[in-house]
Amino acid sequence: MTKMTVTLRVWRQAGPSARGRFVEYAAEGVSPDMSFLEMLDVINEGLIRKGEDPIAFDSDCREGICGTCGFLVDGVAHGPDRGTTVCQLYMRRFTDGATITVEPWRARAFPVIKDLVVDRSAFDRIIQAGGYISVNVGAAPDAHAIPVPKSVADNAMDAAQCIGCGACVAACKNASAALFVAAKITHLNLLPHGEPEQHKRVVAMVDQADTAGFGSCSNEGECEAVCPKEIKLSTIARMNRQYARACWFDR
Amino acid sequence: MPMRPMKFLSSSVGTKVLIAVTGLAFFLFLILHLAGNLLIFVGPEAFNSYSHKLVSNPLLLVAEAGLAAIFLLHVVKAVVNFTANRHARPVGYAMKRWARHTSRKSLASTTMIVSGTIIFGFLILHLITFKFGTYYEDPTHHYRDLHRLVLEKFSHPGLVGFYVLCMTIIGLHLRHGLASAFQSLGIEHPQYNRLIRLGGVVLALLIAAGFAAIPIWVYFVGTR
Repeated sequence: MTKMTVTLRVWRQAGPSARGRFVEYAAEGVSPDMSFLEMLDVINEGLIRKGEDPIAFDSDCREGICGTCGFLVDGVAHGPDRGTTVCQLYMRRFTDGATITVEPWRARAFPVIKDLVVDRSAFDRIIQAGGYISVNVGAAPDAHAIPVPKSVADNAMDAAQCIGCGACVAACKNASAALFVAAKITHLNLLPHGEPEQHKRVVAMVDQADTAGFGSCSNEGECEAVCPKEIKLSTIARMNRQYARACWFDR
Repeated sequence: MPMRPMKFLSSSVGTKVLIAVTGLAFFLFLILHLAGNLLIFVGPEAFNSYSHKLVSNPLLLVAEAGLAAIFLLHVVKAVVNFTANRHARPVGYAMKRWARHTSRKSLASTTMIVSGTIIFGFLILHLITFKFGTYYEDPTHHYRDLHRLVLEKFSHPGLVGFYVLCMTIIGLHLRHGLASAFQSLGIEHPQYNRLIRLGGVVLALLIAAGFAAIPIWVYFVGTR
């Protein structure tokens, strides 16, 4: 198998208040079948052997379902592939000898902790504001006990795929969390168990996103294009409708 | 839960709804304005008598005040929104590329604040040029001969070029604004999303072309 050599320009920042800068690293002997994170592991092993500080980046499942990893690869969140997280991006996607720029998510609400790691607890606070169902719904009921039309279940399920990685915020020119908030609202509000609290939920979650310092939706759909779970912009339209209804007509 | 209209209007969602509603109102105004302007192709009589009927109507002041309020609300909300969004990303990216794929990002969508600022400036110059321009009186009907002023102004190639450029920029603003307003208002369904986006582009093109046709026509044909 042919091996690749790539040059990485990586954002290095020692701590939240430290000044960051780009540092170049040469990655030699890279297998085209390595994931982007595995390639970073190889670079880090080399750095550790030399006694240098390895590049800090978040990762957990490495199979694209946990939402822990994520950074910009050559200016696009999660890299150039559609519907993938950066752990599912493979080195065969790049040409031998390429220079690849790697940068953390940038938003006021996502401060850099170190290198490529950002603090996404602003998302947790949005979930704490309303991304839950208060009642104890007990064990799984009989399948026919609570009727849910197929189309509704499909839409809720599509939205429920959101893994909260933050790529939507990173890609948005306004650093808006609209797609994340809308995915959670759509997922919970469409289903019978979440419906009773739908108005309280949409108001609490949208307001919490505003308070956290995220911007407003640009309607450009860069979020949808980079979303590893391909959450649709239509969820944001639904959120806008529900927020207006909750603010003006709820009693 | 109590009604919370003020909270709504200051929220990120409500801000975009206000920008959408005022933008759509101005879009409707542009259609009426264009319809009136196109009377210039009918003849000076039709154009002048329409303009006279418009300005002699006492309700015009109310309409103008309403338009000014809508316009200012649109501008103020958009500028506040723009600065808040700048604030949301204090440190920018060293390298950022358009995601493409399903993205609707376009030249128009990335330059709304720029095109909007140019339109604001254009509007002031436009009012100075025509509304507050030279008052010629029609000797037979004794009302304002606006037709003569239009012909006089658009005999200058510089002004014709400036107007065509500004109409292109208004078209660009509408190209993103129309479909975007529907999304902000939550008017969205897979059955008619294509229609909304296509309709937005076509209407933006028609309005820009319709307005731009007047200075071009006056310059090449009308003054002969």
